[in-house]
Amino acid sequence: MSETPRLTQFKNKGKDANELRRRRVEVNVELRKAKKDDQMFKRRNVAAAPEEATSPLQERTQNCQNSRQWTIEEIVSGLNSGSRESQLQATQAARKLLSREKHPPIDQMISAGLIPKFVAFLGLMDFPPIQFEASWALTNIASGTSDQTAAVVEGGAIPAFINLVTSPHLHISEQAVWALGNIAGDGSALRDRVIKHGAVAPLLSLLAVPDLNVFTPGFLRNVTWTLSNLCRNKNPSPPISAVQQVMPALIRLLHHDDREVLADACWAVSYLTDGSNDRIEIVAGTGLIPRLVKLLGFEELPVITPALRAIGNIVTGTDEQTQAVLDAGALFMFPKLLRHKKPNIQKEAAWTLSNITAGKDSQIQEVIDAGLVPYLVDLLVRADYKTQKEAVWAVTNFTSGGTVQQVVYLVQANVLEPLLNLLSSKDCKTVLVILDAITNIFLVSRYKIGESDKLSLMIEEFGGLDKIEALQAHENEMVYKAALNLIEKYFSEEEEVVQCVVPQATDHSYTFQISDDQSTFNF
Amino acid sequence: MFITDIKKDFYEVVANQRVALLVAGDIDALCACKILQALFHCDHIQYTLVPVTGWQELGTAFLEHKEQFRYFVLINCGANVDLLEMLQPDDDSIFFICDTHRPVDVVNVYNDTQIKLLIKQDDDLAVPSYDEIFRDEDEENEDDSGNESDEGSEPSGKRRRFDEGAVERRIERQRARREWEARRKEILFDYEQYEYHGTSAAMMVFELAWVLTKDTKDMLWWAIVGLTDQWVHDKITHMKYVTDVATMQRHVSRHSHRNEDEENSLSIDCMRISFEYDLRLTLYQHWSLYESICNSCYTCCHFKLWTLNGQKKLQEYLADMGLPLKQVKQKFNSMDMSIKENLREVIEESSNKYGIKDIRIQTFGAQFGFKNRFLASDMVHAAAALLESTEKDESDTDNFIKALDSLSRSNLNRLLSGIDLAKKKLIAIQQTVASCICTNLILSQGPFLYCYLMEGTPDVKLFSKPMALSLLCKYLLKAFVHSTRNKRCKLLPLVMAAPKDVEKGTIIVVGIPPESETSDKKNFFGRAFEKAAESTGSRTLHDHFDTSVIELKTEDRIKFLDALITLLS
Repeated sequence: MSETPRLTQFKNKGKDANELRRRRVEVNVELRKAKKDDQMFKRRNVAAAPEEATSPLQERTQNCQNSRQWTIEEIVSGLNSGSRESQLQATQAARKLLSREKHPPIDQMISAGLIPKFVAFLGLMDFPPIQFEASWALTNIASGTSDQTAAVVEGGAIPAFINLVTSPHLHISEQAVWALGNIAGDGSALRDRVIKHGAVAPLLSLLAVPDLNVFTPGFLRNVTWTLSNLCRNKNPSPPISAVQQVMPALIRLLHHDDREVLADACWAVSYLTDGSNDRIEIVAGTGLIPRLVKLLGFEELPVITPALRAIGNIVTGTDEQTQAVLDAGALFMFPKLLRHKKPNIQKEAAWTLSNITAGKDSQIQEVIDAGLVPYLVDLLVRADYKTQKEAVWAVTNFTSGGTVQQVVYLVQANVLEPLLNLLSSKDCKTVLVILDAITNIFLVSRYKIGESDKLSLMIEEFGGLDKIEALQAHENEMVYKAALNLIEKYFSEEEEVVQCVVPQATDHSYTFQISDDQSTFNF
Repeated sequence: MFITDIKKDFYEVVANQRVALLVAGDIDALCACKILQALFHCDHIQYTLVPVTGWQELGTAFLEHKEQFRYFVLINCGANVDLLEMLQPDDDSIFFICDTHRPVDVVNVYNDTQIKLLIKQDDDLAVPSYDEIFRDEDEENEDDSGNESDEGSEPSGKRRRFDEGAVERRIERQRARREWEARRKEILFDYEQYEYHGTSAAMMVFELAWVLTKDTKDMLWWAIVGLTDQWVHDKITHMKYVTDVATMQRHVSRHSHRNEDEENSLSIDCMRISFEYDLRLTLYQHWSLYESICNSCYTCCHFKLWTLNGQKKLQEYLADMGLPLKQVKQKFNSMDMSIKENLREVIEESSNKYGIKDIRIQTFGAQFGFKNRFLASDMVHAAAALLESTEKDESDTDNFIKALDSLSRSNLNRLLSGIDLAKKKLIAIQQTVASCICTNLILSQGPFLYCYLMEGTPDVKLFSKPMALSLLCKYLLKAFVHSTRNKRCKLLPLVMAAPKDVEKGTIIVVGIPPESETSDKKNFFGRAFEKAAESTGSRTLHDHFDTSVIELKTEDRIKFLDALITLLS
């Protein structure tokens, strides 16, 4: 009754849970973006050899053995010659130059004005070989920098490629899909241009077959990857109508058995869930959460990583969305994830958990019931630094939203010692969050059970008091103030007086049940 | 990198600079430090001396001094780890490392800018060649950071399609690279598997003094004591010892040469160093002959003096030499001159009869004044006893300074007090050895022998120190090999544990290679301890510069031992 205002007064310190959560999302997005920018320059390899008419063996015997590389001038004159055959050869030569591993001459090709020629070749329906070579060449040009991709788009490639998606020749169709993927992968602007030109429908029509296994793995992978690029990037996020259009296909791909297809489909879901709550709702509303949870239990890292990311994104949403994840049994996957051999998985799992403990107390209870608190404590003790940071957040959110009983349980699970040890962290944000957690625990002990003396003693025994005292000399003012506040309130003599004034709350008799069977209450 | 011209690349570099001198806690390091200090005094080089007993202290010492110093000289520490990785120094800190620990970490060997190794390359180093263990980044294709290495990362936004041939080439390259990596692992494993020791640091620094033509007799004596430390503490093979003794002998004759003729004869107060083919009886010139025989590892083990039979044999042996017990049991200094005259020959003759073939050993003695005569091993035992003194609660630094002082001629009293301490230590060692053997405390664990000194064993505090425990280990293993009838056990290495800090609940664990005259003194326990600790999650502290010495939580002893047995079986 009188507890409710008090609750809001201390628990979130003026910030409601949602705000707290949003801030957490932003931090993560920032990190991810930084990582993504790194990767833009590390283009990814193709793993499987492509499936098309010209086998590598053939090519080698034909002209590879003594294939001298063409110069740009030779290519230009070949393309300008009237003969179709020499145009094909020149296009192939250009494609080869663009396919070599080191320093493909993308800019030279662009400045030689070859893009419009290649785009024109895309339309030669009666001459498939040149369509294929031109598609490949343009794909590789579009794989470069933003400027290079833009050059391909300016050449009118998007509609031409969309036409080719439904080409009767599967290898041409695949190449066109790949090219569109490269264009859409450049960022929000080009992605939306691809969508506006109507790429989604033909792409989805490719998948309109009863059994996906009719396709080669490479083909299906390219389609999935391109679809994922259509879901990718924010500011703005992809148009809602397109997302809704893609969802059924995506769900189907999530049930496919190829590992790489699964991984890319999961990434697509993770992009779509990385946004506001209504964005999350579009995905969560399709009922794919149970499948995602199942994928969490897979062995393959490339699948687990995006599936966990998607789940993690969903629990940044509303309590109901979070509840859907819990109802799907996600928490039972967490013991494995929190002890995963890859530190990154541990970190993401801890991050996810931190957003769950930021939820309702019934949700915190589910975390407890799933037996995850000891794992969390374990992370605080021995995980790598980034994971520890996330675990600290999980604890702090727990202490701010948990019931007295739950917080008492947390303390009994030995959270204090590792938590206090982390006060020596160099990162002041983490220190502040820990100080918040300690304050929360004190508030619980003080208003509810009158056990703050015991708590002070415990903190002192774990060397926490020394650390908090030392923090009073911290260069960061917020840290200094928070530490000072704690010391003044709980580690100076006057507190006796305050305690006598506080009546023992009778409306919380359940809090004393624990103390009853232990004669004196003990954290 | 290895320094080839020690004068130009080391001494002249630090000549006008301030130097931080970080010295490990062993006698060879102290001797090297003494020589270096003398050189620095000579040339007015400012230095700060910091004793370090382990990696943690080394780290702290570096942190404390890195602002004021650019040049760090590390003596008998630092070579066998990736120092830059451990200390994370700024780019302008330079480390000169004079260290006997082998193998030298490969990164230290191939770092050209910050790590300068004062180590002779003709020392049996066997460093893998650069190409075998490093690959320059440029060689690697930028696209190679592909799927496998970074599994589970977000897919890239754009992908280029490669040539068919390129795919094959890349697969081929990846295969070659995997092979190369596997091979690299193997090479590094072989290289890092055993721990051993190279040429004495004191000898290295003495060579510097010699190259600078600033070597004195005192420096020569310290170099000899440094070498003798390696022999006393069983760090080098017999072969290596004899070879290095020969080197030192050349320096000794060079120094004595100058004073041979009448005109230039030295005053009796000056130091004379002489090569000796002397008795292998510890401290006998400062003890009684009888006590020295009883407390020297070599004789004690041969007679099995912990048995009644052994005691009887000793009496016979003394009788055979014709030495009256009264003479033998009184202070060596007060023995009759007539007996002392050809004592060494007399003892050798009888010893041969009793199967003690190597009672004499090549060593050196120093004399100054009429009274003061010391063998190099006397110095080592005295300094070691001071360095690890547990008598009073004095800090490691105090002990370090005392031990350092004892090496100077001007601190004769310090040296004599060290000799007294050393006697106590040797008696303690012999008594512990006897009680361990008599109460069957040495257990065969299959792949190695094991002995655990319980809390409450007499003198157990003494053996909480690494050098003392190692020495005990060596004596104990030798004694065990003489006493056991089990042939297989004679070939086993020994692991020994003793309480380290009762309050913290830790023990100190030492492993030594099997005992044999031809032993290569290569010790694999460093790696084995690491692995055993890793596999069991035991709480260990690998802080000592010798990796075969670690600290362990007492509760984790059993599981650690089990893992060690499994690992080595």
